[in-house]
Amino acid sequence: MDGKMTLYARVVRITHVYLGPAADRFIARQVQNHLHKQPEELSEKDLKQLIDWIRVAVSLLTEDSEIVEEYVEQLRALVKESQKV
Amino acid sequence: MARKQQPALPQAAITPDEEQAQAEALFNSIGDGAIAADEFGKITRINPTALHILGFTEAEMLGQWFPSTIIAVTENGSIVNIIDRPITKAFLTGKPVSEKVYYLKKNGQRIPVASTVSPIIHNNRPIGAIDVFRDITLEYEIDRMKSEFISLASHQLRTPLSSIKTYSHMLSDGYMGEVTHAQREALRTIINATNRMNELISTLLNITRIESGTIAVSSKMISVDKLVQDVVKDLEVQAGDKNIDITIKLPSTPVRVKTDSLIAKEILSNLIANSLKYTPEGGSIQVRVQRKKNSIVVVVKDNGVGIPKYSQDQIFTKFFRAPNVLKYETTGTGLGLYLVKGLTEQIGGRIWFESEEGKGSTFFLSLPTPKRAPQNKAISGQ
Repeated sequence: MDGKMTLYARVVRITHVYLGPAADRFIARQVQNHLHKQPEELSEKDLKQLIDWIRVAVSLLTEDSEIVEEYVEQLRALVKESQKV
Repeated sequence: MARKQQPALPQAAITPDEEQAQAEALFNSIGDGAIAADEFGKITRINPTALHILGFTEAEMLGQWFPSTIIAVTENGSIVNIIDRPITKAFLTGKPVSEKVYYLKKNGQRIPVASTVSPIIHNNRPIGAIDVFRDITLEYEIDRMKSEFISLASHQLRTPLSSIKTYSHMLSDGYMGEVTHAQREALRTIINATNRMNELISTLLNITRIESGTIAVSSKMISVDKLVQDVVKDLEVQAGDKNIDITIKLPSTPVRVKTDSLIAKEILSNLIANSLKYTPEGGSIQVRVQRKKNSIVVVVKDNGVGIPKYSQDQIFTKFFRAPNVLKYETTGTGLGLYLVKGLTEQIGGRIWFESEEGKGSTFFLSLPTPKRAPQNKAISGQ
């Protein structure tokens, strides 16, 4: 099923677990502000930079660095997945 | 004659250690408080000024999570939502963010600070942020005292002014015996000057109220058509004195908006009076009301002196007067448009303009219209 989802939708799906309904807007803003792209234009090669920004932003929303790392690890898994493909 | 080429100066060799020592000296010696945090929001460095302002020791802050150690509060003491803090905004936007907030000292005391947070980016990766902040307690106090002084002085000035005005009118109207033509002219000058001073006091009082956040906004449904007509009527004499034609263009159906009628009138009066001031004799002013999707826009267009391009970004600044208007109107205070902007923001409106020097200016005042509740199709279909 994941194969049919866009990369952006997969990032949002992972983020939803941590940020709930704010996930879509949060990721959209990260993509627009830091990558200067529209969410639907998110590509595999943007992921690394996006994850860096997501990590610092989420680190200020929670003091629990384990949760931040867990979340970031899941996003990094997307990078590995895309490299396999 | 060709110049002899100078040999290139040898590059001063700075080792990474020296560079770090320089950066550290700079960080520690700046007069503002500075706190650096890593990509996890943990505090990695604090300079002596920051420790002094916040009352912590270095050991109490190093390694702590920035948002829970440096607590930001609003003017009324409630904790600023983490998403609204400058450091979060800097990370969310990737750009420096400057704001005035209150920080809580270790002893719980609240201090106003002007803070600028910049993300630290290394090799295209965000690796932390630095918050540089300044204690602005003294500035706040001076500002408060200045506002209090203006408010007090203005109230005190109003009382004798109303006596001068009343008695001048009584004298002029012959209640105290016959007056000669020359005396009546002199009294007219006194009355005009008193009116001008009254207007200035009202402006100063309104500005004080806006700046201290004590202006009372009382909204109710008003007719924009009537508002425009009333203001233009009030300024008819002034317009007649300069032979300026003011035309009004209204939509075919009545326009109503929920706003504070007194504030809206003050704004519009200022805009049209400004046009009158800076439009030469025989000129024209057009006041138009336009209905937009979520707002009503009142447009005041004149063919006056206009605003030079280089002054346009300062036009709503306190005490600012464009150089080209000084020869037309020497008595202006530079407070009118500052007041207009402040009042417009108080009623949730928006103000902007287009202008060309020598051709005229057009000011746009947008007043929000209440959103209509979505209609239930099932009910409306009955």
